[in-house]
Amino acid sequence: MHTLELTVNGQTCRVEVGLKTTLLELLRDKLHITSPKVGCNTGDCGTCSVLLDGVLVRSCITNALSVQGKSVTTLEGITEPGDIHPLQKAFHEHYGSQCGFCTPGMILASKALLDVNPSPTRDEVKEALSGNLCRCTGYVKIIDSVLAAADEMKS
Amino acid sequence: MAEGEFYRAANPQEAAGLLAQHGGGARVLAGGTDLMVAINKRKFKPQVLIYLGDAGMSGISQEGDALLIGAATPLNEILASPLVADKAPLLAAAIKQMASPAIRNAGTIGGNLANASPAADTATPLLVLGASLKLVGAKGEREVPLAEFFTGPGQSVLGADEIIAQVKVPAQAAKAKWAYRKVGKRKAQSLSVVSVAVYCPLSGGKVSGAAIALGAVAPTPLLATEAAGLLNGKALDEATIAAAAKAAAGATSPIDDARGTAWYRKRASEAVVKQLLTELAG
Repeated sequence: MHTLELTVNGQTCRVEVGLKTTLLELLRDKLHITSPKVGCNTGDCGTCSVLLDGVLVRSCITNALSVQGKSVTTLEGITEPGDIHPLQKAFHEHYGSQCGFCTPGMILASKALLDVNPSPTRDEVKEALSGNLCRCTGYVKIIDSVLAAADEMKS
Repeated sequence: MAEGEFYRAANPQEAAGLLAQHGGGARVLAGGTDLMVAINKRKFKPQVLIYLGDAGMSGISQEGDALLIGAATPLNEILASPLVADKAPLLAAAIKQMASPAIRNAGTIGGNLANASPAADTATPLLVLGASLKLVGAKGEREVPLAEFFTGPGQSVLGADEIIAQVKVPAQAAKAKWAYRKVGKRKAQSLSVVSVAVYCPLSGGKVSGAAIALGAVAPTPLLATEAAGLLNGKALDEATIAAAAKAAAGATSPIDDARGTAWYRKRASEAVVKQLLTELAG
């Protein structure tokens, strides 16, 4: 096993991982942070998405040892405990979530977009979410939610 | 069960030395977007991983009339680079259609080439621009034109103790027309069924030094040299375009797979080359 130090949602963690351990396994199995979901495990579906030093990545195909010294943000870390982020509020109000399995990845991909582009067009939202699959909503409600959150965050 | 070693190479030479020392069970790891998929699917069990993220192999700079792109530069960093937008917009256009933002944030240009997929989407623009690779091995380094790099599906001239350290991309000519198109099952997160890059420098209204490359239609990314030769010294008229498109399709040797048939790929190759050249002529 190899010892690894990283920051997760603002907290410094020291964990033991193997050579093949993914960031997703580290988060779920070692740290019990369960918002990143195990979907395809091949980088295709996007439900395991997290922010690595503020940049959107797939935790299922990120080798855990490659995140030594870096900072990871999951859905749990985008607000203070007990608070709700404008994106979460908008997904709730605009029915952007149905079964909920894709939602953590959708919200983090949306946050990655709004962090660099606070006033995206509908097409820019589609492009930003192009790697996140949803089998329930047909995407329309998700895009509505992101645009509503962008409006809310600007006001 | 014994766990293998994980090394953080400080530079490309150290990574190559570690590959030489550890042999077949060792792999270099950059973004992990191909290697970790193979590991998750249990197609490959690593004994040793050599991480390139701290090896000083990331970044884009200019040297004379060429761009130097570190092999471990993430694809999205290349897409966002003003230098690339200015000197090699064809490369940026191809990267924009690759995978999805999260994959492009991790996946690197060196990884895309080193895995030697016939469908590697950075290969076609780099081939038409005449890119070359700096390979660093345990016993020294060498420069290899990308046109001589690929030898088959997943196969290249990369030695067992060599890594790609840098990609050198000659700047596009100021008076050049270019176009790129990728045909996939869907827009995002999709492997190419056919991809085409065309590059036509112009001199006095005539094409001079044209290049056409096609992806996913041969055992390697393919430079259609004969087809491009038909364009040189000519204006892009209908007959010239039709002849070049036919020759480009003639150079392909596609296969049937889950994404498309050989029959479709051959016809799509001709159609896309024709389409792009017609756009350039207009």
